Amino acid sequence: MFNQLRLKFTFVAFFILLVFVLIDIFQLQTREFESTSQIIDRQNLDKFYIAAPRGEIFDAKGEKIAETKLEPHLFINMRKITNQNSSNYRQVIQYNFPTLSIKEINEIFESKDILHFVINLSSVEYEVRNNLLTNFDAFLIIDLPIRSYIKNELFAHAVGYLGIPNQEEFDQFKNAIGNNQVGKNGLERYYEEYLSGIPGELIFSGSDIVDSKQPIPGKDLYLAIDSSTQLVTKESLQQGIDLANKSFELQNEIKRGASVVLDIETGNIVSMVSLPDFDPNKFVSGISDFEFKQLDRDQAFNNFAIQGLYPPGSVFKVVAYWLALSENIFPEGLNNKDAKYDCEGSLSFGFDDGSQQVYNDWKIEGHGKVDLTDAIKQSCNVYFWDIALNIWRNFGNSYGESILQEYSKELGFSEKTNVDLPFEKVGIIPDRDLFEEWKVSRPGLVREEGWLGGDLMNLIIGQGAITTTPIQVANAYRTLLTGVNLSPTLNINAQKITNKKINVSDEFILFLLKDLNTVTNKGGTAHASFSILGNKANDIGGKTGTAQNAGDKNNTSWFVGVDSVSNPKYIIATVVDEGGSGSAVAAPISRRIIQHLLEYELTPVEFGEITE
Amino acid sequence: MINRKITLLGPEGTNLYILLQFMLFSVISWFTLFSSVESIEFEASNILTRQIIFSLIGIIVFFLTTYLSIENLFNLINSLFLLSISVLFGLLFTTPILGVRRWYDLEPVGLPIFIQPSEFSKIVLVLFVAKMLSQKSYKLLAISGVLVNLFLIFIQPDFGTTMLLLIVTSLMFFISDIKMRSAVLGLLILFLSFFILLEFNLLGDYQISRITDFFIGDDFSQNQSRLSISSGGLFGTYFTDSQITEVFVPVQTTDFIFSLYSRNFGFFGGLLLITLWIVFFFRVNRIIKLTQIEFEKYLLSGLLILLGVQIFINLFTILGFIPLTGIPFPLLSLGGSSIFSTAIIFGLINRVFIENNIVV
Repeated sequence: MFNQLRLKFTFVAFFILLVFVLIDIFQLQTREFESTSQIIDRQNLDKFYIAAPRGEIFDAKGEKIAETKLEPHLFINMRKITNQNSSNYRQVIQYNFPTLSIKEINEIFESKDILHFVINLSSVEYEVRNNLLTNFDAFLIIDLPIRSYIKNELFAHAVGYLGIPNQEEFDQFKNAIGNNQVGKNGLERYYEEYLSGIPGELIFSGSDIVDSKQPIPGKDLYLAIDSSTQLVTKESLQQGIDLANKSFELQNEIKRGASVVLDIETGNIVSMVSLPDFDPNKFVSGISDFEFKQLDRDQAFNNFAIQGLYPPGSVFKVVAYWLALSENIFPEGLNNKDAKYDCEGSLSFGFDDGSQQVYNDWKIEGHGKVDLTDAIKQSCNVYFWDIALNIWRNFGNSYGESILQEYSKELGFSEKTNVDLPFEKVGIIPDRDLFEEWKVSRPGLVREEGWLGGDLMNLIIGQGAITTTPIQVANAYRTLLTGVNLSPTLNINAQKITNKKINVSDEFILFLLKDLNTVTNKGGTAHASFSILGNKANDIGGKTGTAQNAGDKNNTSWFVGVDSVSNPKYIIATVVDEGGSGSAVAAPISRRIIQHLLEYELTPVEFGEITE
Repeated sequence: MINRKITLLGPEGTNLYILLQFMLFSVISWFTLFSSVESIEFEASNILTRQIIFSLIGIIVFFLTTYLSIENLFNLINSLFLLSISVLFGLLFTTPILGVRRWYDLEPVGLPIFIQPSEFSKIVLVLFVAKMLSQKSYKLLAISGVLVNLFLIFIQPDFGTTMLLLIVTSLMFFISDIKMRSAVLGLLILFLSFFILLEFNLLGDYQISRITDFFIGDDFSQNQSRLSISSGGLFGTYFTDSQITEVFVPVQTTDFIFSLYSRNFGFFGGLLLITLWIVFFFRVNRIIKLTQIEFEKYLLSGLLILLGVQIFINLFTILGFIPLTGIPFPLLSLGGSSIFSTAIIFGLINRVFIENNIVV
């Protein structure tokens, strides 16, 4: 039988116990409240952080690019060092680690840290370690991660490098303080929180460890970059730069260039090279001030693929090409893309204000009768100037005058591509508003009259105030061939951002590919650079660009290529700063990269033909 | 037996009071954990997010339990007990985690969680004892069942849960018509067997050191938790800006959460929580008196004793009265298994309420 009385008895016992508990808690929280706060103030529990192993980085074939190795580090618990045993420990350290200087040893014993680092034990025999640990209780061995970049310079700009965090980074990344290391640039920076892991902790009360937490390793990153493509891209770019230095007699040595290969379907970055580069391993072991300054002077830390701002020159003409076909705006008097325009090598024209001007094409004798296809193929400026004039005459000073700028922005110019790298630059697409702004903010840069028809004519051939980054140009071509402006990404698992969707018909894409194809074939500006491929060049396409620079700077050399017009897979955008004609330098560099992508035999980069 | 219509809120006549109490305790837990997370991000690694998800699943578990009628439950108990014993037995063949065989790792079947079967076998044991006691002349079977169950938990080893269940089952026998003589005798045998275990080295070093350390000196975490409770003062630090720096307490979000709660809400906060539990006990005790079915009386008392003893062991541990045990505070501590098992207890109580036509 159930005994209700005994249950009551049980609950009464519970209640009495509860009263005791409450009395104890009450006393703690009232009578002992003051003394507790003093104890807590006096209680110096110290935290010592153990850096977490960073996630590793792999290329598209699973080859390791950046790795993290755990190496044993010897630490000394300074709170266990007394006046009596100090000389003893000093001797032990001196005897076992003769590589440490007296100054370094003094530093250890003068330190105010709880735990002070002594030496990396990875090359020290196991017996010695064991002996240290068992006989000297102030010693402690902690496994700490060491980052190394297996391919050295090859991925310098994509992967980036690490450094000691500054105040801003302590605030931004919550694990930075414990890891005492933070990504400073590249993927290491962009994916800092993903890669960093959570540092472990040792809690000290006095000299004793009272609690500990294991570090949690960061997550691994898998890239779309393929190491072999990356290597070929870097070699080709370097060969092209060397070639340009040999071929031109310039005051400044040509050093800077960048090349990006995009997968058309996915928008993944298949290779990304910027020159000059540096070895990110140097930042792990500590880089000398001299070396740092030298690299910095060469702008080696800039990733020109996303940070180099260059006028795009004729590679920008595809924007006008797209606009002409979409809006049916052709040079004066023409009403379709096949109508011929007579290019006489120069264009003279007048504006409403009565001013008369003459613009000269790069080919003084003229391109003869050209339609839209020929204008792209031979990079005829006059044809495009006339389109600009047409826009200006129809829409000038009205709402529609910025139609070219709007088309540019649709393709992502002057906006972030949202590549998964930090510090991306956006460049400039100039228009009337910008010039008005500059009149105030940067006086002297633009003329008093503001935005004029001549500026629009400059813009349409990618000259003047316009600046773009190589990744923007590559992504703009990719957008035209797919209709979707996606963020290009290095990480294959990155969330793709759809920047914009544009309206391109399949018919347009076919026209564009066909016309890009003419550039690398007979009569096209890049034919000389691709002729070495013979018949195989029949399926390749591209566009050359040569942008003039202010002052005594040589022209910027551009080439945007597509590996195949029948089955386009890759867009290759190459730029060489002060590299001269696009068809002479950037085109053969891209040709060698395409040879690799199509698995043809590689031939050295050879100087092409100077056009434009 | 009354047939109940199934409604969205469980069977017809679901006792909203029990559900309300469950949710109230959960919300208190969220507020307590909120003070120890730095940010409210909705991700699985955030302890607050996890606890909220656990609580919400707990409500589902509560309703599911409620659908099971007491009659069906009664018939199921023998199979449940056998299942529980075999699951505990199966633990012997797992690879130890942190030196003990206490969890099933569900990683191989694709679930990133660990299941601690002893959390659920606690309830099954209470059900089993309640059934045995309500049927006369089954006491010996009950005692042997209990001993097998306790032994399997003891060798995991899980000393804390073993002690908990020993006290709970002893109290359940105590409230039956067992003679006082045999009760005292039973206690003596238990006391002796503890020393026999010691003699034959059957207690692990870990448990012995826990006990001896306790008598030798102060345990660091218990000291810290007393400081943490003390620093709460009368009103706590949650609503006032405290001048006192935070106290470091190991595993403060799980076993030691009451010290975090006390720091945040002070003596009055503690009083409030205890009062809520007392109200709950009174409420359930009324049904124990009301119901005519023996099994229900044993079941409800057993569950109350289980909850009560867990709370006491937890409080005694964090106040340093007894050695470290690893028993969580029901519905306050962070952790899925503990929340789900408490949800089952609340669901069972709710079902008894329903069948006795006690609404709201």
